[in-house]
Amino acid sequence: MRKYFEIAKILFKAQLVYRFDVFFNALFTVAKIVFAYIVWGVIFESNTTVAGFTLSTMLSYYVISSFLSQIEMSDGITGEISGRIRDGSFSKFMVIPSNTFLHFLWQNIGSTLFYMIFNFFAAVIWIFIFKIDFALTTDIAIIFSSLLLISLGLFFMVQLSYFIGILTFKFKNVWLFNLIKGNIAAFVTGSLVPLVLLPMGVVDVMKFFPFYYVTYLPSMMLIGRNIDEFIVGIIVLSIYILVFIIINISTYNFLRKKYDGVGI
Amino acid sequence: MNIISTSNLTKSYKRYEKEEGLKGSIKSLFKRQFIMKDAVDNFSIDIRKGEFVGLIGPNGAGKTTLVKMLTGIIAPTSGDITVLGYYPNKLQNEYKKQYAVVMGQKSQLFFELTPSDTFVLFKELYNIPDKIYKENIEYFIDLFDIKDLLNVQVRTLSLGERMKMELIVSLLHNPTILFLDEPTIGLDAIAQKQIRHFLKEVNEKKDTTIILTSHYMEDIKSLCKRCIVINEGKKIYDGSLKSLFARYQTHKMITILFEYESSISLPYDIEILESSPYKISFMIKKFEVNKVLKYIIENYEIADISIEEEDIGNVVERIYSNKVGDIE
Ligand SMILES: Nc1ncnc2c1ncn2[C@@H]1O[C@H](COP(=O)(O)OP(=O)(O)OP(=O)(O)O)[C@@H](O)[C@H]1O
Ligand SMILES: [Mg+2]
Repeated sequence: MRKYFEIAKILFKAQLVYRFDVFFNALFTVAKIVFAYIVWGVIFESNTTVAGFTLSTMLSYYVISSFLSQIEMSDGITGEISGRIRDGSFSKFMVIPSNTFLHFLWQNIGSTLFYMIFNFFAAVIWIFIFKIDFALTTDIAIIFSSLLLISLGLFFMVQLSYFIGILTFKFKNVWLFNLIKGNIAAFVTGSLVPLVLLPMGVVDVMKFFPFYYVTYLPSMMLIGRNIDEFIVGIIVLSIYILVFIIINISTYNFLRKKYDGVGI
Repeated sequence: MNIISTSNLTKSYKRYEKEEGLKGSIKSLFKRQFIMKDAVDNFSIDIRKGEFVGLIGPNGAGKTTLVKMLTGIIAPTSGDITVLGYYPNKLQNEYKKQYAVVMGQKSQLFFELTPSDTFVLFKELYNIPDKIYKENIEYFIDLFDIKDLLNVQVRTLSLGERMKMELIVSLLHNPTILFLDEPTIGLDAIAQKQIRHFLKEVNEKKDTTIILTSHYMEDIKSLCKRCIVINEGKKIYDGSLKSLFARYQTHKMITILFEYESSISLPYDIEILESSPYKISFMIKKFEVNKVLKYIIENYEIADISIEEEDIGNVVERIYSNKVGDIE
């Protein structure tokens, strides 16, 4: 186990080196919140509530969900695996005594933790600057439930990104899969628009997919809404996670035999 | 005891062929043409513990492919392979903990971090006990004398410095076998020498079995008692390096300086390397040296003569151009 902590620690440290990335990551968060502030400010001038949101709960939703989507960084896993398979440096993971999936998981945990701490401070600062009347629930049980959901959701996203990454063994180019995933995720996780604003039928379909529970539901729960969906969320995510454990193990064991380790 | 053993090991790569240009690209979307390439072909070897084996062959001979199969990175197409009792491509952790591989153009280090950081990571990855870890770090750092580079970013290291770090990282867990694929590629003479010294020490003091591929014959000559020559995927020689050279270093290089301007013509079939009014140098078969020198001394005024071993590159060329069955 200690080896995986060390992997996480190394990635955490590695992030510190990329000061620029950190800077842009922060800038992006700000841009999103400013955008929400302006757009929703206009809309709320003529309404006091929209789909049960007040301006401050809406902005709180944006702060939380953009925080969550910032720390969902599994994209990097697909990029790294795919690039390494294509240039042959994936060999590195085949010769060291660690499990490749766990290696990437902990690598992701390391960098996520880093951005989490960083983005957390950023979020707090924005709440003060925009004088958002922050509508965080005070119910400890709900906070913990959301944290559980968030952890499972992030774990699932790592599994999915890993899966797309290792498909490179077979398909050399996975950018299409990644693009599809990226767009679905951006839309379905509700970091662009709260999903309650969409037609009921669409939302009901989304509930069968894991993305709904990754940022959207925990964000809603944290502002005190949709609490009753928690149990379903845990069940759906757990099923997807279990299925993907099996898919990933068998896909890896099957496809890695196709690996040529190109280059020198 | 053999710790590496392969028999009739074969790896065929499938490679797609595409016609030139856009038309070819589109055509290949629908109908892929591929050719098979036997990169390693019916290869059988046995290596004992503690050996230092040189694996040589021209570009594309199949050396890297062989190393990749031995380390389990790729699966063989057919044939048997056992290393330390394991089938490498099963990628078992128990196997991985017993070998190390360093490929000249690939890195195990994290470029953004320092070598020390990577050392600590490897300590955990391989569960290296504190005592052994400390001893090894001290021993290797001393051997390379690179104490002051441990806490700088890896990306700022020079190629040679980085390669030394790669070697240290790979040896921290005292592997039984060390695979080296062109570890000295691109290094200057000093660094190459240091690395050779390092490897010799490791092989002797730690009894590490080392399989080394290199295009620098100096590496092979000064380190490996045993040498395996591979060409077009096939083994064409396996035996002592000494007899390989005895057999293939067939020529001498002779350089003669003349007192006076001379235009020399030799009545023998020799390969002239350089010729000017005051100097000639040529290659000649060992057994003809006597005869030719006698002729020259009798017919010309000579200022100086030197007789040298033939350049190692020629020897290698001759070895490689040999077809299977010619030797052994
Ligand atoms: N992934 C691959 N797909 C198809 N052919 C390959 C692949 N990798 C290597 N080959 C071919 O297999 C042959 C052996 O390659 P290999 O890399 O083992 O040679 P090598 O002896 O290491 O050469 P070098 O001295 O240049 O490093 C070459 O002809 C090469 O073109
Ligand atoms: Mg090679």
